[in-house]
Amino acid sequence: MNKKMIMLDTLSKGQKAKIKKIRTDGKLLRRLLDMGFVMNSEIEVIREAPLFDPMELKIQNYYISIRKSEASLIEVKI
Amino acid sequence: MKQIKVGLAGQPNCGKSTIFNLVSGIEQHIANYPGVTVDKKVGFFKYEDYKVEMVDLPGTYSFSSFSQEEKVAKKFIIDESNPNSKEKSIDIIVNVIDSSNLKRNLYLTFQLLEIGIPVIVVLNMIDIAKNRGLEIDSKKISKMLSCPVVETSGSKSIGGKELMQTITNTFEKKTKYEEFKINYEELEVHIQKIEKLLENSKSHLSKRWLAIKLLEEDPTILEHVGSNIKKEEIDKEIESFHTLHDKDTISFLATFRYDSADVIYHECVKNNNINKETLTDKIDKIVLNRIFAIPILLFIIFLVYEISIVYGYKLTDYTWPILASMKNFIIDILPMADFTKVPMITDFFIWMTNSSIALLNYIPIFFILFALIAIMEDVGYMPRMAFILDKIFKKFGLHGQSTLPLVLGGAMVGGCAVPGVMSTKGISDERARMATILTVPYMNCLAKVPFYTLLLGAFFKPEMALMMFFISTITIFIALLIAKLLTTTVLKTRQTAPFVMELPPYHVPTIKGVFIRSFQKVWIYIKKVVTIVLAVAVILFAMLEFPGLSEDSILKYEKQSEIYLAKFDKQIKNNKYYQLVDTKNEVSDLLNYYDRYRAKRMAATSKEDAKQLDKKFKLINADYYTFLKPRKNKEAKKINRAIRKLSRDRKKVLREMKNEKIENSILGMTGRSLEPITQYAGFDWKINVAFLSSFAARESAVATLGSIYENNKADSKRAEEAMAENSGYTPLHAAAIIIFMILTPPCIATMIVVKMQTNSYKWMVFAIFFPVFLGIAMSSLTFTVGNIFSLSGVEAMAAFYFAIVFITLILAFYPSKSINWKGGLNKV
Repeated sequence: MNKKMIMLDTLSKGQKAKIKKIRTDGKLLRRLLDMGFVMNSEIEVIREAPLFDPMELKIQNYYISIRKSEASLIEVKI
Repeated sequence: MKQIKVGLAGQPNCGKSTIFNLVSGIEQHIANYPGVTVDKKVGFFKYEDYKVEMVDLPGTYSFSSFSQEEKVAKKFIIDESNPNSKEKSIDIIVNVIDSSNLKRNLYLTFQLLEIGIPVIVVLNMIDIAKNRGLEIDSKKISKMLSCPVVETSGSKSIGGKELMQTITNTFEKKTKYEEFKINYEELEVHIQKIEKLLENSKSHLSKRWLAIKLLEEDPTILEHVGSNIKKEEIDKEIESFHTLHDKDTISFLATFRYDSADVIYHECVKNNNINKETLTDKIDKIVLNRIFAIPILLFIIFLVYEISIVYGYKLTDYTWPILASMKNFIIDILPMADFTKVPMITDFFIWMTNSSIALLNYIPIFFILFALIAIMEDVGYMPRMAFILDKIFKKFGLHGQSTLPLVLGGAMVGGCAVPGVMSTKGISDERARMATILTVPYMNCLAKVPFYTLLLGAFFKPEMALMMFFISTITIFIALLIAKLLTTTVLKTRQTAPFVMELPPYHVPTIKGVFIRSFQKVWIYIKKVVTIVLAVAVILFAMLEFPGLSEDSILKYEKQSEIYLAKFDKQIKNNKYYQLVDTKNEVSDLLNYYDRYRAKRMAATSKEDAKQLDKKFKLINADYYTFLKPRKNKEAKKINRAIRKLSRDRKKVLREMKNEKIENSILGMTGRSLEPITQYAGFDWKINVAFLSSFAARESAVATLGSIYENNKADSKRAEEAMAENSGYTPLHAAAIIIFMILTPPCIATMIVVKMQTNSYKWMVFAIFFPVFLGIAMSSLTFTVGNIFSLSGVEAMAAFYFAIVFITLILAFYPSKSINWKGGLNKV
């Protein structure tokens, strides 16, 4: 068992993971929940933007992009 | 006739507008109610025996969080479902769903179902879902959600009739509607407790729904129930749920809804195409590719320019004659000038006509531009543009979504701030949106180009290309710089939003949808902008017209006119036609006839037109026509010569009068009174007047300068040459003037849309004065430094350019705080 926390922004293209916890609250938390970032939902990293910052993800069968600063608040398990 | 009120709700990109257009048909009547940042659109139309009022609500992902769109949509549902309100209450909610993105769309459906108003689910884009290999059992969905489900395809005009049938059927059976309930299991106890507390509430809304919303800590609902419940009581329930199950209500509800959506998805959808690459995937592999993405983006921007600005401008060649003939028609019916006494009403109407057609002239460009934006929005390229460029913009406090407004404003040479500012509407980050609105006016608008051309032609003939490069590329640096400046100062406390953006699959846009949307936007432009611009034109006219010439000057010009008239009289005294033109009135008449013919002859492009014109003028006055075209008639030839001379003399007097009038006018005096400040930038009162008048429309700057510097000798010198010779400016002056023009002045039309988009006069005033101040400061600095080091114009411009670029690059490394929501790793 890997005891270190894995954050979403550290994943690379093609990796799949499940959401464990979202470590934020307020507006960002609600926004993420509404977009389908709920417990145990599956995420796939599709690609990084050409300039390396936002990243494109596949979640709940659709595509979404989020900044790495936001992705770093989402804890996942691989 | 029965009335039905329908609310159209759905997530962004679900094709709500195409459904709106599909059912409302052509004979709809649309009313727009501009809100703070989002508009509510209402369509009225008839269907069978029903009068349908359809309200298109803004696209929302959810009914629980706090974006502007969600507030508007929620407020609408709360207010207009109230049976006690004056408005007709809402009967049915139509929930449009993107069939190919069922799971996330159902998330909203669950929230809508709980409200307690009958819901009809519309499975839109069903054809696209089928193409992707999705088999959707809509009957089963209908059964599971116990609400009617209709399959449609807005873009292919399928399902409109069925939807209308379902709406009327549901309306008739409305009373039998049973409230939809999700069993929230472990949360149920708490819901019921809150429900009990709400027993005395007079709210017309479902108690259960209110209870759920309260557990979600929804501020709008908390306000709605008011004194019926205390916040502590709700917090207590939330706390106890947390201690019992180690779960937050907010996350729990969201997860529960997604899980429920997942159940429906697995029961009702068969995916025959798992893991097969879709067309969107294939396109994105190229469009979002690390190497190709930016060149493709640049190419698309270039294409938008080429089509809208370049070809749109060519299109104005065809629309211009229509506007010109309108203008001619108005001038024809206005009272004529009596030699040098031009009636003020004539002056006024010519001024107004010129002002309005200058703006109407841009309509073809705007229409194409709006249509291209609509296409890019529909196709789904917009969010991808933001995806590609967000990293750069983020550094300056802007947002990936700022790309398009800045591009439209004129990131290359020639855009327009009006559609640029208008397109900021979709930016979700409030601070970035404000910063974008305030920086778009710094871009190179189309109407600034003639001004640059004039100055470059006059002072920078050999270095024209280099100067144009400076002018056209510096704007983007200035915009970034100012955005950074504003977001770290006056906008510092504004809310920012996380960058969480959907990248929807590519769609083929519908012609009807694109046309309707661009037409609506152009119409808003015409209505709002033109009316206010004309009001300003009136003020400007008054400021140029009053106090007018002094008595002495009028006498002086009258005397001069008399001399010219006497000269004319002497020349033709012995002419056999003399009795036709022996009074002043007759002379003026002939003169007007002559000038008008010359003007129209100049405008006529083909031989055919010229012939027509001749015919027309012959009909108006056959005698005068003889003077116009004397051919071998010697006597008539003499008159022709004399009248030509007289026309030139009159023009000279008119011009002198006009110059003196401008100089002594309120605007002219304002220009003079500004000289003490503007002298540091090297501006004299004439430049000041040009800038002041450019506030109405930037084109006026060139027109004003042109008329001030027009050569008094009647030769064929171009405005550039006249300016270079008569103004006494050096290229350094010109560089300072250009820098001022780059930074300012904002035109009135732009200011109106800034007011529209920020919904605040305060920001409009800021958007006017800040650039003026900055412009004066920058050009004074450049001019003074240039003088001290005796730089040439080009050197001064280059120094300014590199200074700006340098500062911008430095600022890029100054960190910008963008996270102002709480949380992060500290709170675990």
